[in-house]
Amino acid sequence: MRAKPRILIVDDEVAITSNLSPLLERAGFDVIIAVDGNQGLRLVQEQTPDLIVLDVLMPRLNGREMLRTLRHQGNWTPVILLTQVGDSSERTMALWEGADDYLNKPFDPYELIARIQAVLRRVRPGTPPLSSARRIGDGRLVLDRTARRVWLNSQELSLTPKAIAILEYLMTHADELISRERLLNTVWGWDYSIGGRVIDTRIAELRKALQDDPAEPRYIVTIPGEGYRYIGAVNPIP
Amino acid sequence: MLLLLLGAGFILWTLIVNAGVVNLFIALPIDLDLIIVFIGLLLVLVAMTILTLQQGWERLRHKSVEQARNEAFAEHHRFLRRLDHELKNPLTAIRVGISNLRETCTLEGQQQVLTSMEMQTMRLSRLVTDLRKLAEIETLPLEDTPFDLREVLEETVVLVQERLEQNQRQLSLVLPSPGSVPVVGDRDLLLVAIHNLIDNAFKFSRPEDRIELRAFHDDNSVLIQVSDTGPGILAADAPLVWEELYRGQNTEGIPGSGLGLALVQMIVKRSHGEVSLESQPGQGTTVTIRLPAA
Repeated sequence: MRAKPRILIVDDEVAITSNLSPLLERAGFDVIIAVDGNQGLRLVQEQTPDLIVLDVLMPRLNGREMLRTLRHQGNWTPVILLTQVGDSSERTMALWEGADDYLNKPFDPYELIARIQAVLRRVRPGTPPLSSARRIGDGRLVLDRTARRVWLNSQELSLTPKAIAILEYLMTHADELISRERLLNTVWGWDYSIGGRVIDTRIAELRKALQDDPAEPRYIVTIPGEGYRYIGAVNPIP
Repeated sequence: MLLLLLGAGFILWTLIVNAGVVNLFIALPIDLDLIIVFIGLLLVLVAMTILTLQQGWERLRHKSVEQARNEAFAEHHRFLRRLDHELKNPLTAIRVGISNLRETCTLEGQQQVLTSMEMQTMRLSRLVTDLRKLAEIETLPLEDTPFDLREVLEETVVLVQERLEQNQRQLSLVLPSPGSVPVVGDRDLLLVAIHNLIDNAFKFSRPEDRIELRAFHDDNSVLIQVSDTGPGILAADAPLVWEELYRGQNTEGIPGSGLGLALVQMIVKRSHGEVSLESQPGQGTTVTIRLPAA
């Protein structure tokens, strides 16, 4: 990777790209801009960005079409898609469309910067993202994302759908600090006043099933007052 | 109906006459009997046709009212989507722009202006996001699974207890005699709805007020009630509190987006239930959720 990672922003809203560009540059990135999917594809070829921030709704070639074309060509440049993955049908779609992360508008600009940094740290250039792998884990713990099943030491675990969704999100964002709000937003699709207690209950369920001691965790670490971080190794499993 | 009775009367009368009960008194020629029976049958037929048409018309009318309601609902949904779409891009641009200014502006006074702008933009972002979520719950595929309502209510109490006690509200949970209270639906979403109602009861009550969460069976339904002894809702506000962004006249200074009850209503509607509210100004408010029993 270059000293200054090159970020391609693809969005037809000039008000967004013209403001985002200097902000990302000050954060240490080299920024290039495309106004639709066609120009985006061209710039990927010519400038080989390290990461693409991709809006979905655009004239001519939209974001999802551009992403499909890229992946079809075998191009695995990491992509942050500017939309949300809420319900289960969207999650299934997200699995095969091959984005590395999702962020919905209107977003906190610093959240975008944090996500870009996290994805850049996580990706192995030229390989498919974990978020598009069907089975992931460290050999001991295996999660089948399509079948929604989890095994520990070859023993299948009995987990609620929500606990599986949390585990999936934590594993596909390994080493990243994930706030309770982000988990609520992504896994439940809302973050109403109910707060993080619902999350804590499910994390406790997960820990029990994974035989993970919070005092000496192998998988899930609590960051007091902030959220959770997955520390286990995560690889695609054929 | 009158025609049906008249027709049936004709037939009965003719049969009685033919059975010889009264033909000692009235001797009618046989072909006249046949004509009367025929007229009777004809009247019955006409009456039945009218009745069927009437029922069909009623069904049609009912269906068109239902259809109109669904269409209005769908239109409202489309409006929320359009609103979301039209607001999210400018809001993103403003947020990024403010961050840019904040990083480059060094004047103390201007930083304060930026802080205020940032807070208002975040407020707007929150509103757009909440409206979007409300629209999403309308169409979200729900987890329609059987669960024990007792567990959900007990969990909700655990979630709110500490906050209520710290603020001098007494919360009591009244459940039917031991055993599960089975219902079918999306457990987590229902928890959000009940949590929202208790949160409202908390916000719109005063220290030393009481809040009661109840559940009981009623015919083929399960009723969940959240009651408080707070100041209640003004009669003029009561029918409007379910509307998005509506805030009652006596809610000044109480935090809230005006989306809580709209969300509750949406969740209950998606759970095949009904929700209603009764309030006595000065005495308190009771919200009732009626769900089909599993």
